[in-house]
Amino acid sequence: MTAQEARLCGLLLREHFGEVVEKIGTHLLRSGAQNLRTIVNESGTPIDLVKKSLCVLMKHGACRFSIGRKGPGSPVEYQASCERILGILRYPRYIYTAKTLYSDTGELIIEELLQRGHMTMSSIVKMVADRLTHNMEEGRSIEYNEVVSTFSKLVETHFLQRCPPVSEVVPPVSTAPTVPGAPAAPVSTGPPTPESFSDCYLVPSVSLAGRGKRRRSGEDVVLDQGTTKKAKTDLQTHGDEGIYWQVNFERFHLHFRDQTIISAVASKLDQAWESLGTSRFDSDYETSSEIVRTMLRMSEVTTTPSASCTQALSANEVFRSLPANYSISRPILDQYLTLLVDDPMEFVGKTGDSGGGMYVVNLHKALTNLARATLESVVQEKFGSRSARIFRLLLRKRHLEQKQVEDFAMIPAKEAKDMLYTLMSENLVLLQELPKTPDHAPSRTFYLYTVNQLATARMLLQHCYKAVANLIDRRLFQTKESKRLLEKSQRIEAIMASLQASGAEPEQLTEVEEMISAPEKQQLESLRHHINKLDSAENQVDETIFLLKSYVASTARITR
Amino acid sequence: MADAKVKKECDPADAAVIENRIKELCIQFPQGITDQVIQNDMPHLEPTQRAMVINKLLSVGQLDLLRNSSGLLYRMKDAQSASKMKGSDNQEKLVYQIIEDAGNKGIWTRDMRFKSNLPLTEVNKILKNLESKKLIKAVKSVAASKKKVYMLYNVQPDRSVTGGAWYSDQDFESEFVEVLNQQCFKFLQSKAEVARDSKQSPMIQRNSSFATSHEVWKYICELGISKVDLSMEDIETILNTLIYDGKVEMTIIAAKEGTVGSVDGQMKLFRGVNPIIQPTGLVKTPCGLCPVFDECHEGGEISPSRCIYMTEWLNF
Ligand code: SF4
Repeated sequence: MTAQEARLCGLLLREHFGEVVEKIGTHLLRSGAQNLRTIVNESGTPIDLVKKSLCVLMKHGACRFSIGRKGPGSPVEYQASCERILGILRYPRYIYTAKTLYSDTGELIIEELLQRGHMTMSSIVKMVADRLTHNMEEGRSIEYNEVVSTFSKLVETHFLQRCPPVSEVVPPVSTAPTVPGAPAAPVSTGPPTPESFSDCYLVPSVSLAGRGKRRRSGEDVVLDQGTTKKAKTDLQTHGDEGIYWQVNFERFHLHFRDQTIISAVASKLDQAWESLGTSRFDSDYETSSEIVRTMLRMSEVTTTPSASCTQALSANEVFRSLPANYSISRPILDQYLTLLVDDPMEFVGKTGDSGGGMYVVNLHKALTNLARATLESVVQEKFGSRSARIFRLLLRKRHLEQKQVEDFAMIPAKEAKDMLYTLMSENLVLLQELPKTPDHAPSRTFYLYTVNQLATARMLLQHCYKAVANLIDRRLFQTKESKRLLEKSQRIEAIMASLQASGAEPEQLTEVEEMISAPEKQQLESLRHHINKLDSAENQVDETIFLLKSYVASTARITR
Repeated sequence: MADAKVKKECDPADAAVIENRIKELCIQFPQGITDQVIQNDMPHLEPTQRAMVINKLLSVGQLDLLRNSSGLLYRMKDAQSASKMKGSDNQEKLVYQIIEDAGNKGIWTRDMRFKSNLPLTEVNKILKNLESKKLIKAVKSVAASKKKVYMLYNVQPDRSVTGGAWYSDQDFESEFVEVLNQQCFKFLQSKAEVARDSKQSPMIQRNSSFATSHEVWKYICELGISKVDLSMEDIETILNTLIYDGKVEMTIIAAKEGTVGSVDGQMKLFRGVNPIIQPTGLVKTPCGLCPVFDECHEGGEISPSRCIYMTEWLNF
């Protein structure tokens, strides 16, 4: 783990769980696996706070425990997962994706689960139903069954999965500390993966009937009151006690990957030229990407997450599976497929001729090309299009002497030299020496410029972590600067709400409202604008992070 | 012997005959003749007499003396340069000769010094002299800005010296290149647009978005934006920069011999393409473009809280 990752993890933990958890979390990240006693001693935090922090981390999968390394009988050790903590950055994207796929219900299910780490199905359903009902018009409510069906769909498509059983007693952390040789995780061979359990995607039959209940304002929310009168009688038992669910991040990531590939195909092969300016909705408007989307959808079940390309599909199969509104003829489909295969980006490959031609989506190649485009875009935006020309040239030709760079890129010697040196000082371009004689005399040495795509991607990944951390820092700073003002406006809003509830006069309301002056209002407005901008920038950088990380991981799998 | 020498010397008619014969031989063997050739041709000629005639020819500049592996070589000098060289001394002729041999690539002073074995000051003096007579010219080489090469006045310098169409006065015409780069792209872009609007089948659309290098070349020539004549290779060089700009793709197809624009049975096809991604998320933030990125630390001199780039960006 790098310093940048550690800093970002710390910021994320602080934002979501507070400073104590941040302290324990970053301590664990730095120290590696440790037992409870050592954590308490080294972090100088009271034991009950440490326990609570570990519990929080564990509930969110950001920390796991295993039997001590000193063999059976030694104290249980805890280890934080940087990967999962960084995943917090992606929460908005998970939630948004759930919304686009499974509407508001899906959104709330994922949101609740992300906030709480893991829950039983019955409690999620009740909670989501209540929240949905609360947002509906007066007098309407939502059936539990509707939420159950969305939940089942999310499980069916593997976006949700059961937490792997840890031990008989839940939650795990209560039994874990200091119990010697706890029958917890299988012996030290790493934690079990959820998918190694056969009923990982099995929805239990629950006895849940009723509707979501509206929260009354002012009334304290007690979770169990959300059930209907009928359910109240058998309060705690729905038949799924002990079966906890969690978000399957891997599945979301595959979805993100597929979306990225689809939109790359769309932008390369489908989009009308920007200069055209008109949006066109012809039947062939986005056919190429639709074909790739169909192929990816069809291979979701047949292709393992780590495969470098999808299982081969015949043109016949693809043709049958195209959405009904894409009424293209078979020969036209063949043409589209040929064009996809011909395209230098090689998103789609042809593997055989049976069944009207066998086709695959080249997942690894697509990621490689997308990562390359990402690097190019960084150089382009930061150093200008002529430096980007040199950078692309080096990516394509691998090794070039300075003179060759000048000639190919058609950039005058002096400028080219400047650009190369700038890129070199930023570690985007490397200079290799190739001595012709063993004495390394400069006059008898080739100096070759080159770009290492993988190393550059890794470096930019670190830049991304730093950039996000900077954005969060700035956001926290902005909020702190306006803390008094924010608190004031919150107080006033609360007063307004209670006045409204008690049916106060309109004059009274305006009077309260005017307690915030016009310049203050303006300040609040611009603060909100700034926070939004920083927020969305964080999400955008996370997209870069996701792409670069997927590429790095995919390359590691290929070369292993 | 002495007798004969005197006699021969006194016989200018005889000398003229020999002179003509040697000249004829030179014309017959334009690459040059050796003493041996002359001897074989005129076995009765005295060596001294032969030397005398040759010396005379050399001194009036009708003959050149060269050295190669097999010894000395005589060669005819063309009449024109011979007449130009009238009034020059031997050193001047030697330098002129070296420059002439360098052809359209030219030669620089240093090499001339080695070849002529003359001191640098002398060479420089001679060069100035020759230049003022408009017999030779100095051309700045694009390879090295300080390096001047000399060649005969009426010789068209080689591309390696001038850099071809992209140089004027050894300055690289950056703007000219960029203009051509844009024009070529425009052409390919409009071609792709027309193809898209044709609403033909996808295959036909793609194929008609391609342009051969010859087509692009013709378009650029007809535009008349270039003062110099551009070759098809010149245009291909420009098209290649568009490939490195990520805006154009190239395919090579086999072409029938004699098709316009085909080279060695191959034809290069170019088409404008769309990028696969928009600028990536990182560069949409100030930090992604920040020149002091590495110096920035929370609590440091440059920090996110007080960063002016952030402030500017937030207020934008
Ligand atoms: S916060 Fe400001 S100074 Fe720091 S890296 Fe970002 S843009 Fe640069």
